[in-house]
Amino acid sequence: MASAHERLVNLALFLASRSRPVSIEECRAAGLGYPEDADDAAFQRMFERDKDALRASGLAIVVHEDGTYSLDAERSYAGEVDLDDAECATVRAVAAALLNDPSFPFRDDLAVAVAKMDLGPFPGEPAVSSLAVTEPERQSAQARVAAEAVALRKRVRFGYTNARGESRLHEVEPYGVAYRRGRWYLVGRDVDIDEVRVYALVRATGLTPNGSSPKTPDFEPPADFSIEDHLVLPFQIGEGRFEAAALFEPGAAWRAKAATEGKGRLDQKPDGSVLWTVEAASARAFAAWCIENGPGVRPLAPEEAVRAYRDGLREVAARHG
Amino acid sequence: MARSAARRARLLLSLLPQLRRGRTVRIADLSAALGVPSAEVASLLHDLVFCGVPPFSPDALIDLDIQADTVTVVSEPPALSRPIRLTRAELGALLAALETAGVQASDPLVRKLADAAAGAGSVELLTHTLRARPDVGCAEVYATLADAIETARKVRLTYQPVGTDASTDRVVHPHALVNRAGVWYLTGHCELAGADRTFRLDRIRYAEPLDDSFSPPTEPTTGVVPDLDRLPVATLRVPPGYSIENRDWPGAVCEPQPDGSLLVSVPYASTRWIAREVCSALGAVEALGPAEVRDAVRSYAERLLAEPTV
Repeated sequence: MASAHERLVNLALFLASRSRPVSIEECRAAGLGYPEDADDAAFQRMFERDKDALRASGLAIVVHEDGTYSLDAERSYAGEVDLDDAECATVRAVAAALLNDPSFPFRDDLAVAVAKMDLGPFPGEPAVSSLAVTEPERQSAQARVAAEAVALRKRVRFGYTNARGESRLHEVEPYGVAYRRGRWYLVGRDVDIDEVRVYALVRATGLTPNGSSPKTPDFEPPADFSIEDHLVLPFQIGEGRFEAAALFEPGAAWRAKAATEGKGRLDQKPDGSVLWTVEAASARAFAAWCIENGPGVRPLAPEEAVRAYRDGLREVAARHG
Repeated sequence: MARSAARRARLLLSLLPQLRRGRTVRIADLSAALGVPSAEVASLLHDLVFCGVPPFSPDALIDLDIQADTVTVVSEPPALSRPIRLTRAELGALLAALETAGVQASDPLVRKLADAAAGAGSVELLTHTLRARPDVGCAEVYATLADAIETARKVRLTYQPVGTDASTDRVVHPHALVNRAGVWYLTGHCELAGADRTFRLDRIRYAEPLDDSFSPPTEPTTGVVPDLDRLPVATLRVPPGYSIENRDWPGAVCEPQPDGSLLVSVPYASTRWIAREVCSALGAVEALGPAEVRDAVRSYAERLLAEPTV
């Protein structure tokens, strides 16, 4: 008897090589590797799982009205990808780095994607990555499970220890997965408190999807959900929003677009500086952010942020005098 | 069905279009293209010779001549000779990977990939549920450097080191792209310094490929954290309740104190860097020593204070 993966390949080749649709009986009798001693129900279950697996590989299996199956070539095969040299080099360098990064959760999918694109070999491509330095494998594994739950719209449960060291079990409807600053995050609605929250997966344990009715979604995410709305800068965490402003001086203005991560509004000034206005929740954290991203970045508003900046720096200077 | 069987089948199916009659392929090349070890590729190829179509006679099976380092295709797969369309998960993985290099959804490269994967779901939907953005965007610089590395061409960089507000122009032989904790770096030989150097991509203001080529090193440097054992160490006092969880201080060692504070030993390559780290704590963190760090912290704070804030 063929192994499960050989049977899957045989079934794919069988469907692709037929000029007409085939019945389930023909598939069973074709010697593709299904166990001969399986009863009808067991064979049917196995065949259904195989079709699902091939569809998950990208093959479009069509079920006809008479119950026969065929492969839709139009929807199964990849279109032409016309990349220029720099684009090819970018994909190869990124793929070479992340395929070997244990903290990248989607390595299997990425491997198949680049293989399908047939970009040519890139052995020894000089690119390496370690996106997450802390517990890379654990973060990656939980992010992968979370991303699958997002796609299937299944609730997840996990233990979570917050920054204050408090631990409890959470049940969450996962809306999205994100990577920022060395960490993978899950964004979703916490069922108990009925709020959308952001969870650092390095703090989560035992993240498990709801296993009941795996093909039936547990929830519908809000139509207007965008994960970007929940990926805030450090000074935007907290209640009580206000408008803050900072100036990127002419020598630092070129960094403004990248450093501000698309948050707030950037206005170019005649002297070459850039004025940044952005929503904030902590004046002190905003002042700290300006120093972290300086020199050449200083807070202009609110007054509380300017005071935190100047008082803080005076304190630093005094303590190190 | 075991998850591993489905994964293995996907890899086998993605191998099929690369197996054309008469073609000899290095297993190392297939390994690189698939992102799996050579031993696994060899194992996959050995499985493939048992695959085919009815009646599974010798001429209906995939016939491969598998050697230690190469595989020669004697008879090619009877079907599926074209690459299979990207699935939603594969497109998502590809976009997430590219996003780490600053390639955004609006980039023409993303559009091309999405068009080729038509039916795999919209880019908009994917980017609304999966983000892998780097700390800072650098897609254009990344593409220039990746291409220059592949073609072994020198690049001219306008570079502004961390903690300074002045840029310098320099010619660099680009060796490798390295990501650490979301930040991409270039390692290479800097002609200005006459030595190998590491450059943060978000501090490269401009990168221009040159016509001059160079001989790439056989083993490019891919470490971007300096040899910590050889660096001087600063001692920082962190008060109780102040979180340093999000600080990227490679090699830092924390020593809890009876009053709840921490004494943190932090290796540092540049006083500019550690001065900025201490200043951004706005007085909460104190550098206890050495003297050069305390001096640098005070100087940096005084310099920032000297700038107008209105």
